[in-house]
Amino acid sequence: MEVLKEKVEEEEAAELQDAVERGEKTMKPPSPPPSALPPETRKEETPMTQEMLRDLEKKLASIEIVIPESPVIAKVSIDTSLLPASYQSNTPKEEHLLQVADNFSCQYSHLCPDRVPLFLYPLNECQVPKFVSTTLRPTLMPYTELYNWDSCAQFVADFLSMEPLADPLKPPTHLYSPTTVLKYQRGNCFDFSTLLCSMLIGSGYDAYVVNGYGSQDLCLMDLTREVCPLTMKPKTRVQEKQVAPPKKYAVKPPRDLTSRYEQEQERKKQEKIRAEEEKRLKEAEGRLQEAENAKADPLHGLRVHSWVLVLTGKREVPESFFIDPLTARSYSTQDDHFLGIESLWNHKNYWINMQDCWNCCKDLIFDLGDPVRWEYLLLGTDKPHLSLLDEDDDTLIDDDDIDSLGKEEEDKSFDMPHSWVEPIEISPEAFETRCPSGMKVIQYKRAKLEKWAPYLNSNGLMSRLSIYQDLECTQLLEVKEWYQNREDMLELKHINKVTGLIIDYFKPGHPQALRVHSYMCMQPENDRVMEFYEKARVDGLVKREETPRSITEHYQGRPDFLAYRHVTYGPRVKKVTMSTAESNPRPITKITERFFRNPAKPADEDVEERVFLILEERIQLRYHCREDHITASRREFLRRVEVDSKGNRIIMTPEMCISYEVEPMEHTKKLLYQYEAMMQLKEQEKMSRHQAWESELEVLEILKLLEEEEEAHTLKISIYDTKRNEKSREYREAMERVMHEEHLRQVEAQLDYLAPFLAQLPPGEKLTRWQAIRLKDECLIDFKQRLIDKANLIQARFERETQELQKKQQWYQENQVTLTTEDEDLYLSYCSQAMFRIRILEQRLNRHKELAPLKYLALEEKLYKDPRLVEHLKVFS
Amino acid sequence: MNRLCNSLEPRVMNDDMLKLAVGEQGPQEEAGQLAKQEGILFKDVLSLQLDFQNILRIDNLWQFENLRKLQLDNNIIERIEGLENLTQLVWLDLSFNNIEAIEGLDTLVNLEDLSLFNNRISKIDSLDALVKLQVLSLGNNQIGNMMNKAQAEAKHQFSIDELKHREYLMQAQQAEEQARQAELEEHQAAFVEHLNSSFLFDSMYAEDVEGSKLATLQGVGELLEAYRDKFVIICLNIFEYGLTQQEKRRVELDTFTACVQEAVQENREQGKLRIARFEEKHLLSLTAIRDESDLASMEARISEYSEDITELANVLMTLEMQLVEQLEETINMFERNIIDLVGLFVENVQSLMAQCRDLENHHHEKLLEISINTLEKVVKGELDEDLPDDVRALFVDKDTIVNAVGTSHDIHLLKIDNREDELVTRVNSWCTHLLDKIHQDETMRNRKRVKEINQFMDHLQNELDNLDSGDILD
Repeated sequence: MEVLKEKVEEEEAAELQDAVERGEKTMKPPSPPPSALPPETRKEETPMTQEMLRDLEKKLASIEIVIPESPVIAKVSIDTSLLPASYQSNTPKEEHLLQVADNFSCQYSHLCPDRVPLFLYPLNECQVPKFVSTTLRPTLMPYTELYNWDSCAQFVADFLSMEPLADPLKPPTHLYSPTTVLKYQRGNCFDFSTLLCSMLIGSGYDAYVVNGYGSQDLCLMDLTREVCPLTMKPKTRVQEKQVAPPKKYAVKPPRDLTSRYEQEQERKKQEKIRAEEEKRLKEAEGRLQEAENAKADPLHGLRVHSWVLVLTGKREVPESFFIDPLTARSYSTQDDHFLGIESLWNHKNYWINMQDCWNCCKDLIFDLGDPVRWEYLLLGTDKPHLSLLDEDDDTLIDDDDIDSLGKEEEDKSFDMPHSWVEPIEISPEAFETRCPSGMKVIQYKRAKLEKWAPYLNSNGLMSRLSIYQDLECTQLLEVKEWYQNREDMLELKHINKVTGLIIDYFKPGHPQALRVHSYMCMQPENDRVMEFYEKARVDGLVKREETPRSITEHYQGRPDFLAYRHVTYGPRVKKVTMSTAESNPRPITKITERFFRNPAKPADEDVEERVFLILEERIQLRYHCREDHITASRREFLRRVEVDSKGNRIIMTPEMCISYEVEPMEHTKKLLYQYEAMMQLKEQEKMSRHQAWESELEVLEILKLLEEEEEAHTLKISIYDTKRNEKSREYREAMERVMHEEHLRQVEAQLDYLAPFLAQLPPGEKLTRWQAIRLKDECLIDFKQRLIDKANLIQARFERETQELQKKQQWYQENQVTLTTEDEDLYLSYCSQAMFRIRILEQRLNRHKELAPLKYLALEEKLYKDPRLVEHLKVFS
Repeated sequence: MNRLCNSLEPRVMNDDMLKLAVGEQGPQEEAGQLAKQEGILFKDVLSLQLDFQNILRIDNLWQFENLRKLQLDNNIIERIEGLENLTQLVWLDLSFNNIEAIEGLDTLVNLEDLSLFNNRISKIDSLDALVKLQVLSLGNNQIGNMMNKAQAEAKHQFSIDELKHREYLMQAQQAEEQARQAELEEHQAAFVEHLNSSFLFDSMYAEDVEGSKLATLQGVGELLEAYRDKFVIICLNIFEYGLTQQEKRRVELDTFTACVQEAVQENREQGKLRIARFEEKHLLSLTAIRDESDLASMEARISEYSEDITELANVLMTLEMQLVEQLEETINMFERNIIDLVGLFVENVQSLMAQCRDLENHHHEKLLEISINTLEKVVKGELDEDLPDDVRALFVDKDTIVNAVGTSHDIHLLKIDNREDELVTRVNSWCTHLLDKIHQDETMRNRKRVKEINQFMDHLQNELDNLDSGDILD
């Protein structure tokens, strides 16, 4: 404060001018619109006349007032009665703080009349003024995802829906507690910042809420001029090839015999063309830029905004930066969007910016310990003070008036009171749902991003990014859809609307180990590329490309060293009968197979390429090249079966095998060797054809699977997800039921069989031995009686049933002739039921008879062991 | 073949029998016809079955170099012989014969399965060479002293343990010896072996009778000690220097080989690329020629194709010549450098050796002085100590003593000279040898490549010609 004062005293003479200058510099108001002027000024301009009044009335009537949407959470909707007491009132300490703040604010406005009043103690949801720093409630969230600033900011941005400030030029009148904001999931930029800052400080960052001025885009959360971060390609780091210094004995390159002059000319020509192209591009870009920048903001520099500043020092933050809480984007402190800072605060203190903001925030120095640049409200912060200025401070205090001095001393002994806000809590459900009602749409420049909560969409869709060609977002270029929890492990679907190409990306775990599938349509025998997780496949397939006439497969890590197979198909032969694709396969015209080098074989015997020209009945082999050779052995077999002049089949002639050998060998010249090789190749051809057929089948199967999945799209639920996992919930409930029943049974077992007899005795008296014996006898007799009763009961029922049955039978035999079939059926069913009942009763009776003595003995035993009777009966027994 | 008639008569393994067996057991059906046309070479046969043939003696099998499986069971063979050449043999069946001893199997190192069932073998012996043997069937023989494992262990444990212990000691010794040998070889490669100790100095005095006699003189002992220290220090210098120089030479050679390898590899890649490019075209043009019906246009195509071939040959040859030139230049450079290095090494070693000689001269003078002093004392009879008789014999007159000291000196100088000569000669011979080898390798490489290119061209031309004639015949 003293610095401020001194400054003012010194510049008292130039105060006015300075104020004007500063106002211009900080705000740059470009001729504020008439509506922004206060009405009083207009009233005083001219004396009122009747006509004018009428005119005014007319004019006023024509003006339609657009009532801004409820600036903050509608007051009615907040139930303040349930809020704790700290919300409803201020503690003495808080009152004290408010007084200090008030004092501070008065002095400030006195000393800097040209600056906007401070944003110190807005009302909270219970209409109680609360100091802004106490509204911050540093809390460490229990979710690991919220530990770092980027994910934390993203959460806040997703979780709350933004409402613009009631008056874009002023800070809000209310600042609600983070808990209320979280509950209603809505808020303005101050609410956002307060919540985010609370979480960041809680997880250890040196974070501050900033009250300042932002650009229109920033304040209105307008990202339409920003490039979507998802569309930006990750910068491929240019790997600088380390040019090895030419070795001592490196051979000299052969002499270049081309004309230098010609090369030069060619280069010049190329450059010219390129320059022209660049120019054209630049022009086009410039035009676009102009169109985009056409709409300038009339309120530029006046719009109030609040964001979060994170300073270096804690959590290994290398450089101070801003976070815009509305969009969760981080900006450098030099960014153009941030036009000025009024003040900033954390949970411990409040600082006012004393630096000039004529050049946005670019020249600001965030050294909060420097009292010339940052005026603090409370002393005793943990920020280091500039040691250089300490002496100055002391002398200044001496010079100051007593008022201020007293205040300083007061302040020195004053700490920021504890936050009045309850701890911030986010339920796991809310954390998972994130966005209000689980959905959020963000409009970027030429792009639209939609987000959903998991399991909200039945097909597992999590987010969709649509990229447009034009700024108005009418011509769709491509769509990217991200999925989660899909049974088929689909992760990302990329649809190019221009070419119609669809690329699906799968996570590991697809039944066929599919990794990427790009296609135009799902019909078989069309252009498509499938890539696989080759480690998960037995056949080591990496990639399969398909065109209407061919299939190309790439393999990796197979024991037979196959690396590549290319199958070409001819047009399908038309058959007379109608046939499907399976029964009429396309004829194979050519199979090319390539192999990796098999280190176990010599190069001359290790085939590198094998071509079966099926139509020409030709087989071409090319072997691997030897280490120090440039040519590779090759062999070509003609498979055509020929007949000689006598009509005998020619088995093998030297003409049927043309071979070139790098190093001619004796045994390979033999017809027998060649014949055997050819026989082997024939076998292999058969195998290859079979494998090609199998590949075709597999493609069909995968397509079928994908289609089924597309229709059914079941979602996978983790076994740890207790809420959604139906099975585990059933299991858990069953377990609980069992437990409950178990419990009931235990309670039942504890039923006191002596209780009715004990009740007959005078309560509170100790049992005598005689009484105990009687008790026992009575109990036993009673039990015996009950057993007998039960047996009698069963007996009675049994007899009744039997009698009834007999009656019915009698009746049936008497009326048998006259009965209709229906009656007969009725009778028969009755009989069978009755018989069943009788049999059950009989069984029960028998079981009862068997068990009754046992039960009796068991009870007797129990009675002997009963703690109440045991001492009396012990002697007896 | 009529087996019944000859069933009891022993038969000889002659050429006819083998041919018949090979023919019978060789390829069948179509392949068999082919085989008959061409005949089968014995060395191509992989498996041979000669059972129930009443063979008495194994013979005539030396041609079957590549035989993997040989069945000679149910014969009357008495000795294992004539199998020395069948080194590829994996499977040998000699069961149901009359063999009495295991022998003649030492060259069959690839043998995995050996059956000697039902023979007259009495002792298990000479199976040490069969390191890959997995199955040995020796049932129904007359091996007497078979005992079970536990018994054997109990009986022979002591001797086995002793053997094992001795073996272990031997191994340790061997390893040590090897390490020493390796070190010595390394030093030898640097041409400074034994210079890291007083070996040279000791050798100087080993044959020097007079020197050792004189060493007993008073004052010579200390002198000798000092001399020895200095000498050894110089030797060590030479040794260190030799090692560093050797390292330098090695690095030089490594760089050179790496660079040459690189150049050759690059050239090879280029050649392969050209050939691959040509081959793509080649396939197309071959089919085109085949499909061409018009004779005139076919001829045109053929001539075009043969031009292509010539061009390819030219390109490949140019590449090769280019490489030869490049390599020649590099090799010359390397030659210059390595000769310089060796020269420098020799020069420095010589200067160090000169220091040795200086030391020796110095020592010689001192020794001479002492000797003469002693002589004077002896002559004057002032010598207070007793000298051994043989030493005293030297101090007869001045000539004798000077001669003795001179002889000792000569011997020392000779030793030093010899060592120096040896080092220089060996270094020089190593250098020439290396350079010769490099030149030779390069020539070989060049010839091989040229041969390969020519061969490839011939093949292409042949193919074309065949196509030509074939089509014309059609």
